[in-house]
Amino acid sequence: MTIRFPTRASTSDQPKSNGKPRPPKYAMLSVAFAIGAIVLFLLASLIDSVQDYSMYILIIGAALLVASWGIYFFVGKPSSKKALPDERENVITVIGCKGCDKREERAFETGDFMFKELGPCAKCSGVSFIKAIYLIPTKKE
Amino acid sequence: MWCYEVVTITQLFDLGGDATSMLFNVIWMVVFFVFILFFNQRMQIITYQRNVEKAVDRLQAMSDKSREDIFKVVKPFNAENADIRASVNNYLEFFTIEPVSLDPFGVLGRLEHILDVRRERSMLFVSQVAPKADKHQKANIEDVIEAATAVNYIYKVIRHYLLLGKKTKSLMIFVQLDMQLPMIMKQAEAYYTAQRTFAAAKPIGDGLGPLVAAKFMVGSPKEAIAEEVVYSQVDVLGRKAYVLKAEGPGGVVGKPGEAVKQLIEKLGGKVNRVIMIDAGLKLEGENTGEVVDGVGAAIGDPGPEKFKIEDACVKYKIPLDAIICKMSLEDALTTMKKEVVESSETVYERVKQAIKERTKEGDTVIVAGIGNTMAVGQ
Repeated sequence: MTIRFPTRASTSDQPKSNGKPRPPKYAMLSVAFAIGAIVLFLLASLIDSVQDYSMYILIIGAALLVASWGIYFFVGKPSSKKALPDERENVITVIGCKGCDKREERAFETGDFMFKELGPCAKCSGVSFIKAIYLIPTKKE
Repeated sequence: MWCYEVVTITQLFDLGGDATSMLFNVIWMVVFFVFILFFNQRMQIITYQRNVEKAVDRLQAMSDKSREDIFKVVKPFNAENADIRASVNNYLEFFTIEPVSLDPFGVLGRLEHILDVRRERSMLFVSQVAPKADKHQKANIEDVIEAATAVNYIYKVIRHYLLLGKKTKSLMIFVQLDMQLPMIMKQAEAYYTAQRTFAAAKPIGDGLGPLVAAKFMVGSPKEAIAEEVVYSQVDVLGRKAYVLKAEGPGGVVGKPGEAVKQLIEKLGGKVNRVIMIDAGLKLEGENTGEVVDGVGAAIGDPGPEKFKIEDACVKYKIPLDAIICKMSLEDALTTMKKEVVESSETVYERVKQAIKERTKEGDTVIVAGIGNTMAVGQ
């Protein structure tokens, strides 16, 4: 879980966030308190030598647990772990020829559009043109 | 006395523990019931609110980034030293009021008028902020701004309900928001990604209709027929086919309904079939690029264009066929996928098959490729 400060949604129109998650300091504190509470509970139950102080240990453990929940619910705010959609795309431009069966593939360049004529074909006297432009999905997709 | 009472209670409930454990049991039960009775709803509100805040945070990041992207896209076409930040920020709040539909008579005419005025304002704004851009670049910038406006609008609406929920402490507002968030976020991400595609002027999935039409039109003379729509007259299996699409490669959809209507009128209604090609929303579980046949006007406009096609076809009793290629909203708005390009060949063959099976040699057919023609020439 990732939580962060502040709790209120901004009402400003000025850009503030760049979409990167901020350091989860409150989340770490909350988790640390919860772990501390569990350790104290285990101590009080399992270690005989501290049995005399078990009540105090349990109270401290309960306080840590309450503090952990308090931080989780009231102090922090969850930040989206998921980054903004990736800008990089593998877009291919397919070049064909009106006169022969030539087929070439290259990365998309600004100004490319389908059926754009690119001049004479290197293989024959026909006109080469952009046959297709498409996105190759990444493995994750 | 105190000890005596505790022992008595212990015996009464048969808890079998000492005074300390008894005390803890009582505290635990009190805390538990206080929590359930007094803080139950508050805890639910906090849980739902956290999800909505997370979404608003992400939406804000998307909105900010898309706003910055507008500046980047516009900058090369901008007059030197011109500060467009304020005018772009202002334009992102631009709104359109739908015509009144309490009296539905003539509502489509009024809607078309409003949409025309909106388009005119949009083009004027783009001309002001990017005076050096050519016709196609202006169309692309217009699409970039439209996508950023959509992201900004979604962000503001969700933020509005978040703040309203906080103000009223209403669990129902948060529950409803939280339930709808997956769909809303999907839509926002589609617009956000679309903006990057528009900025790079890459073809989008919705360009399938124009792509198939262009396959018929390439090499034939083109003529303008309606606003931003061109057509070619080509021979398809001995039939006279009038193939139309939005004029590329700029990102426009044009007025294909008006074009079909004008073509039908121009031909005196002597059209044997109208075949429309468009991208259609797929259902979950269906595959992107699946090609299906149907009847009716395959066009996803707010109404006026669809009405014109239906009206003209009904007037002259012209059968209206539709061939759609299925894709998700995200596929339709973002860079054209390989499956869609491959499907364009299937659709092309399917149109030829439809012409062959449903018309005779010498007949007249209109083939309309509907969609945004960004990076699709003709």
